Amino acid sequence: MSELQTIADIPKENLLSGGTAACPGCGSITGLKMALLIMGKDTVVVNSSGCMTLLCNYPRTPLRVPWIHNAIENAPSTASGIIRAAKRLGKKLNVLCYCGDGATYDIGLQALSAAIARNEDFVYICYNNGSFGNTGDQWSTATPLFANTTTTPVGRKSRGNTLSRKDMAKIIGAHGCYSATASLAYPLDYLRKVKKAKEIKGPAYIELLAHCPTDWHFDSGQGMKISRLAVQTGVWPLYEVVDGVLYLQSDKTRPVEDFLKTQGRFKHLTKRETAAIQAEVDKEWDMYKTGEYWKTDEY
Amino acid sequence: MENLITGNEAAAWGARLSRVECIPNFPITPQTEIIETLAQWIADGDMDADFWTLESEHSVLSAAIGSEATGARTFTATSSQGLVLMHEVMYIASGMRLPFVMATVSRGLSAPITLWSDHNDFLANLNTGWLMFHAQNNQEILDSIIMAYRIAEDNKVLLPAMVNMDGYVLSYTKEPVEFPAQAKVDKFLGKYRPKHAFFDAKNPLVQGPAVLLPHDYTYFRYQHDTAARNALSVTRKACEAFRKQFGREYGLLESYKCDDAKTILVTQGSISTTAKAAVNAMRKKGKKVGLLRLRLIRPWPAKDVARELANAEHVAVLDKNVAPGQGGIMSPHVKAALFEYGAKPIVTSFIMGLGGNPESVGMFEEAVRLAEKDKRGGVLWLE
Ligand SMILES: Cc1ncc(C[n+]2csc(CCOP(=O)(O)OP(=O)(O)O)c2C)c(N)n1
Ligand code: SF4
Repeated sequence: MSELQTIADIPKENLLSGGTAACPGCGSITGLKMALLIMGKDTVVVNSSGCMTLLCNYPRTPLRVPWIHNAIENAPSTASGIIRAAKRLGKKLNVLCYCGDGATYDIGLQALSAAIARNEDFVYICYNNGSFGNTGDQWSTATPLFANTTTTPVGRKSRGNTLSRKDMAKIIGAHGCYSATASLAYPLDYLRKVKKAKEIKGPAYIELLAHCPTDWHFDSGQGMKISRLAVQTGVWPLYEVVDGVLYLQSDKTRPVEDFLKTQGRFKHLTKRETAAIQAEVDKEWDMYKTGEYWKTDEY
Repeated sequence: MENLITGNEAAAWGARLSRVECIPNFPITPQTEIIETLAQWIADGDMDADFWTLESEHSVLSAAIGSEATGARTFTATSSQGLVLMHEVMYIASGMRLPFVMATVSRGLSAPITLWSDHNDFLANLNTGWLMFHAQNNQEILDSIIMAYRIAEDNKVLLPAMVNMDGYVLSYTKEPVEFPAQAKVDKFLGKYRPKHAFFDAKNPLVQGPAVLLPHDYTYFRYQHDTAARNALSVTRKACEAFRKQFGREYGLLESYKCDDAKTILVTQGSISTTAKAAVNAMRKKGKKVGLLRLRLIRPWPAKDVARELANAEHVAVLDKNVAPGQGGIMSPHVKAALFEYGAKPIVTSFIMGLGGNPESVGMFEEAVRLAEKDKRGGVLWLE
């Protein structure tokens, strides 16, 4: 494979056709389609219950690679069985877990952490749409502060989600394996990370911010713009954790408001709440700047 | 050649002789000795298999699905809390029609927590779509695991199978066990080359799709039910082939002195051996008593059960389990089988042996005495 310097270097063989059940403008399915360009034909996709499960809607599949959907919390465990059996039987297979944030941050964290500790040879991409999407936008520990979701609804006595997002890419990085964040608005960066993850012998984790018009409440044509703003405002920093060292790859050049005002899930925010989110992001960035991110007392 | 081994070792031998290739696992008393034995054999180079410990039984079964679906003969074992933790994935394993074998070592469920055996863990799986065998002694554990692979992997079946033994009473008790010759087992099982292994980049398939059309979903379930029913005749044939190959006789059930019996005890698992001693003792006193041991629990051989019991006046079903508010788990099965068959012995349900409560010859004599007095078919607790 070439070194992915320009878009022209991206492999062309498309392994995921159109006409699926995903919402128009869905970032999660774009992320899968792009990842498969790099993962290639010899890939088994292991999916956790979520929006992507509906891609393979009997009797049709949009995929030109094998696919297994087991349950919501066990993709990494399922993958471990595939990896070991394939090796034993001499089948050359890449294993890609493609799982939502609810499956990754919440119900499936135990299985994921254990699979990484066992050094299973897989690529795990968490497509983070910030909620339990398939069940209708319920709060997960990946939901951003103050977001309006169906289980943290804004009401006369509620301002939405009162808890900050768990920082999963760092938690996975702390396991000692490759861990990176990615954005669809930076496709070459994302694909380079997928390529790196594929080449690593052992576990590799990528967390892709997956814009979701349905739950974030924005016009389905605006996804890439919003994904770019997430990076530019510092809400979604791009970085890689390699051997326990975090390498920051993006810069914070705009106020968080530029990102927040694009989506209905934040439309109730007051100035003070926006400022609180800004302060949270600034605090995180201060830690990047001072190289303090791995101080244990911050957790 | 006979060897003095525990039930756990017998299960491990069953897996080893079946040449299993993948063994995902997680420890729980009283199953641990099975996985420890396998681990040591692999560590010593006596056995060639992938053995890996996951972080939970839920993940163990998920991994078994992955390895079996990729085409490797897979084995695992669990007990009690581990088995009920697997519950969600039990349905997925059978729904995906993956024919691997799991040894289960029965232990009562929490709360309150216990270490000793009863069958509530095993019988919580009646509707999971698995094949379910319950062994009576250590020889049968080993033999049943080998047979279970043959039945599960049959193209008419393709379902996962559980082989159950009672914790402690068998799992940690040594009994003489004859080891079948490896060459004969190889012949009996054949090399595992599944047609349904689907992780092949040249022929990409989907496992576990969404099936949202109710008609299609029903058809999947219908096929599953058909496959489970097919296992009745496939098991019969496997038992016959096993007898020819290895000389030991098994069936869907074991009928002991039922032909002329007026009262028949219905049991499963290791209590059956004590119950047979009780039958012998009562026969000596001139009482016409028999015993029916349930061996294949799923698919449920209703006709065979009813045929054995049809001519009795009283049937005492001894359930080493309890479904609170209902009674024993197996007694309604027995009643339904008799009802469908049109036979009308009075069926008394006995709850016994919970949390390892030991059985005795006297208890079975008492059960017969109480059953023969019963006019309406009640639920009684035996201590
Ligand atoms: C054990 C279990 N609990 C709950 C569900 C219901 N459920 C199905 S999909 C889903 C949401 C998954 O969220 P996420 O992983 O973020 O993926 P997304 O739906 O956003 O694609 C839930 C909760 C389930 N399938 N299994
Ligand atoms: S709800 Fe969001 S993540 Fe799910 S399919 Fe729709 S756009 Fe994609």
